[in-house]
Amino acid sequence: MTVATSTALLEVVDVHRRFGGVHALRGATLSIKHGGTVHALVGENGSGKSTMLKALAGQLQPDAGTIRLDGEEVEFSHPTVALRRGIVTVTQETTLAPDLSIAENIFMGHRMERGRLGIRWGATSRRAGEVLDRLHLELDPNQIVRRLRPDQQQMVEIARAISMDARVLILDEATSSLTDDEVESLFAIVRRLRDDGVATVFVSHRLSETFALADEVTILRDGSTVEAGPLEDYDRTSLLGAMVGREHEEPPVRPEFRSSESALLSLRGVSVPGAVQEIDLDVEPGEIVGLAGLVGAGRSELLGAVFGLYPDRSGEIRLAGESIRVRSPRDAVDHGIGFVPADRKGQGLVLTMSVRENLIMAASCNRPRMLRPSASAELPVVDHALATMRIRTASPNAAIGTLSGGNQQKVALGKWLAAESKVLLLDEPTRGVDVGAKTEIYRLLGDAADSGIGILVSSSEVPELLAICDRIVVMFRGRVMATLGREEATEAAITRYGTGHE
Amino acid sequence: MSSIENTPDTSTDTAAASAPARRRAIAWDGFARYGAVLILLIVLFIVLSLTQPRFFTKANIENLLTGVSILWVVSLGMTFVVLTGGIDLSVGATLALTGIFLSKMVNLGIPGGVVFVMCILFGALVGGLLNGVLIGRIGLSFFVVTLGTMVGLGGVVSLWSNTRTTYVDSSFINAIGINRLLGIPVPIWIMVASLLVALYVQRSTYFGRDVYAVGGNGDAARLSGIRVSRTLVAVYAIVGGCAALAGAIQVGRIGAASPEVGGDLALNAAAAVLLGGTSFLGGVGGVSGTAVGVLFIGTLQNGLGIAGVSSFWQQVVTGVILIAAVLIDRIRQSGAFRGRSRVLTTEQPSAAGA
Ligand SMILES: Nc1ncnc2c1ncn2[C@@H]1O[C@H](COP(=O)(O)OP(=O)(O)OP(=O)(O)O)[C@@H](O)[C@H]1O
Ligand SMILES: [Mg+2]
Repeated sequence: MTVATSTALLEVVDVHRRFGGVHALRGATLSIKHGGTVHALVGENGSGKSTMLKALAGQLQPDAGTIRLDGEEVEFSHPTVALRRGIVTVTQETTLAPDLSIAENIFMGHRMERGRLGIRWGATSRRAGEVLDRLHLELDPNQIVRRLRPDQQQMVEIARAISMDARVLILDEATSSLTDDEVESLFAIVRRLRDDGVATVFVSHRLSETFALADEVTILRDGSTVEAGPLEDYDRTSLLGAMVGREHEEPPVRPEFRSSESALLSLRGVSVPGAVQEIDLDVEPGEIVGLAGLVGAGRSELLGAVFGLYPDRSGEIRLAGESIRVRSPRDAVDHGIGFVPADRKGQGLVLTMSVRENLIMAASCNRPRMLRPSASAELPVVDHALATMRIRTASPNAAIGTLSGGNQQKVALGKWLAAESKVLLLDEPTRGVDVGAKTEIYRLLGDAADSGIGILVSSSEVPELLAICDRIVVMFRGRVMATLGREEATEAAITRYGTGHE
Repeated sequence: MSSIENTPDTSTDTAAASAPARRRAIAWDGFARYGAVLILLIVLFIVLSLTQPRFFTKANIENLLTGVSILWVVSLGMTFVVLTGGIDLSVGATLALTGIFLSKMVNLGIPGGVVFVMCILFGALVGGLLNGVLIGRIGLSFFVVTLGTMVGLGGVVSLWSNTRTTYVDSSFINAIGINRLLGIPVPIWIMVASLLVALYVQRSTYFGRDVYAVGGNGDAARLSGIRVSRTLVAVYAIVGGCAALAGAIQVGRIGAASPEVGGDLALNAAAAVLLGGTSFLGGVGGVSGTAVGVLFIGTLQNGLGIAGVSSFWQQVVTGVILIAAVLIDRIRQSGAFRGRSRVLTTEQPSAAGA
């Protein structure tokens, strides 16, 4: 590594940015001394991490402050300017063209090999192969991106990044929809890039990932940098403390659940061809039941089946002892079932609408459609949800897209609480949510259960299930492998059953 | 009314908008998206009034408005379709078809008022049952379906009318086209009434919200219990009904039902909707913008006509302005006009980096 020690590789100094009334960045600073490091950027939801990284990538312009690359002041007026200087961003939403091949995506546009007769596909694909080799990825460059798993798509994004000779790789929650194994393989690549001298800026709300990968850390709070330094100076508690500016409270431990021997939701022989087979399951009022298992175990499909997403579902769904007909989401909603899908932006929220309209959407879905929405009936419900869930928004009429990830997630959950659902189905309820907001969501779920709601929650984070569930159902290849009570449920047991061992 | 003050949050920018601020935010929805065109319209109006003595006269303004009344009514309906992320190419054919329907009914001796109502129901049925069911219930692409019904209904129009223009002798229908009420032509009254109804439906009903939700994110709307296919059937029925109303005005104005009308209506309506700031991706925009868009097109064509510019040049200029308007919108969205408050219900969140 031949990097000058006097000037830092990349410096963001005292950057400010406002969005209307929201002061997203007020004096944020980030300094990456040299390449070959992984720099964690941590902070609560809405603390300004993405905003700062977007400024770094030229996706938005700061109102004030400077960005220096190799000691030279730069102005990234456009994403391509930043790209040309070797700053590449990968986020959880891929920006790949799904119907093109891996090679086409890597060398998108003008960067393909050209000959006299147009693009030389052979050479392009060979070069793509070299990039993939460098990452030790065993993928065929001619494969269509749509057919890849999410983590593989993420890898292709990274391959594209390094094919552009990235010097700074920005990973903004790139791991949030990946499974543990996928995260591991992504980390392996980041470490390899680090050894090649690439600097990585890493954002994740899973602290374990941050501690596993990063060397240095910068802590943002309310839009300004509060601390920075080597990560080894911190442990979980001190890092959390610095993020929130006060003592971090761990989620309350749920008191022992006392079974009432009466099921609220019962599934009998529920099957969806190709996804889940013959599921029997009960959720009592006030109980939180977890669904554990690998990706592909059929957890999401089971939730979807209960919510009426699959017309070819068979088996029986009973609510408070009575068999109910659920052929569409609307049927489910009419029976008081709520569903928070894993894909918040794609399925959970209407991003073009306001916080208020999203919050009230499910609660008002059975009002006569030609009726006038009554503000006096709606606002108290909305205000109540905003207050009890501590949703941070400039106004109830703000576009939901302007909220930070964690706050959006609270709205996605809040709309079912506003609709007074009796049963909640949650798929990855804390994806992309910061530690503090996770605690709050756990608290909200606990309160909801205490009020008599039955909750069925699927999560790929086992510690999360262990923290909030009264009972955990472990699935493997579409079947229930085991049902574990509080005492039996351990990480080891869940992993064992989740991988198909008896 | 507000329990927000008790929020146990330390943050200062937590939900704390006062009630009047909320009301204002709702009342101004979408204005930012057609404000530029509105200003352009006002400037154009003033320039024409100052330079063309024949422009700002009662007769010409009436002429201008009645001239765009058909486009107006259809574009209002079209707005709902575009808000759901679709488009209806068959409105011209529906207009011609309902005109023929109307003439046949009148010639059967049915009273004009009854025929008028039947005509609108017929248009809504055609739109809802053909386009609406195929798109909303069966899930076919709106482009394919409405292109198909455009061509197909065009054929039906020719067959049913024998490609002949039929005179319509009904005092009621003729009144719709040319009579005056309190000194103002009936088509202008219809324009005012239809805008008010459309505004009400869009802003003040759950259905209006459904339209935005379906266009903004159909999946999320469905998963929230909204009946998406019913909403889609309804919007295509609405635009069908609007085309029929426009058809009645058309017949009333020329006193006859012609199979030749409505040729470029769908595209002109789409242009007006686009000019009015409604996004073709759905979920963003509204009918007030469309009204401005129609007035802009009408004023431009009327003004250029008075100034002696040939109608071919009028078309060229309209096209250029259409593209320019979209360009302005694009520039504004990419951040050149930053700092504006984004508490607008229908404002699209900025897609940074797109
Ligand atoms: N386009 C925008 N318009 C208005 N406000 C915005 C916009 N983008 C971000 N904000 C606001 O700026 C603040 C910082 O947001 P940012 O997305 O940077 O947070 P973050 O730290 O990345 O949060 P998360 O961990 O949830 O991703 C938030 O309060 C957010 O609501
Ligand atoms: Mg973020």
